[in-house]
Amino acid sequence: MKAEDQASLEAVLKDEIIRMYEEVAEHPEGEFHFFHGRDAAERFGYAPEWLDEAPAGAVASFAGVGNPHERSNLQPGETVLDLGSGAGLDAIVASRFVGPTGRVIGVDLNPSMCIKAQAHAAATGTTMECHEGRMEEIPLPDSTADVVISNGVINLSFRKRKVAEEMYRVLKPGGRISITDIVSAKQLSQSIVNDPKLWAA
Amino acid sequence: MFGLLEDAGFKRVKSAVVPGFRFRQQSTQNSAEAYGVKAVMMTAEKPAEA
Repeated sequence: MKAEDQASLEAVLKDEIIRMYEEVAEHPEGEFHFFHGRDAAERFGYAPEWLDEAPAGAVASFAGVGNPHERSNLQPGETVLDLGSGAGLDAIVASRFVGPTGRVIGVDLNPSMCIKAQAHAAATGTTMECHEGRMEEIPLPDSTADVVISNGVINLSFRKRKVAEEMYRVLKPGGRISITDIVSAKQLSQSIVNDPKLWAA
Repeated sequence: MFGLLEDAGFKRVKSAVVPGFRFRQQSTQNSAEAYGVKAVMMTAEKPAEA
């Protein structure tokens, strides 16, 4: 694919991603082709108390594909970056582990989701800072985080190599990632790649 | 993705299939299976000397 074609497709895809995940956040009662909300979180092993203590809106909007906390081994005082933080459930769960001496940072493509996530975090009595930005150009300095978590987001990028490089850059030496995501064993057909609705799925 | 993490410099890259992941619609699930689509958990470390 030519660079200009990819850039054009990325712009369309950005709009579709924002539209789809806003739809999940605003109308979580809707039917989507992926499981979402509390049912999905419980399916992936989120502890009931994590979900009980989080704002209903954060839980209902959950659209992850697994449980990055299962192996994140977050410790009190650590700085954790949630890449693609959405409505904030994973950031809120992370804040339970890093505690008041820790720091939770979200990055999301959609500024309104950042506002929503920060409001959800505040409602639980925790603080989360959220930055609007792309995962291919994470708006953070080098060596910021002890841990990067992400849940079902990196697959949406056309430039996954750049995402991997950016996660490496923003991690402190000795830092780690714990991510859950969708992978494909086969090359997707061009018709899927060229369809923003299918790609955003 | 596994290879991209190694290329970026990560060490101890590990992955495991996420049990229980599936698409809501059976038709979508069937298409996903045809392409070998699955959810995975990946962990990796940035070397301390990096």
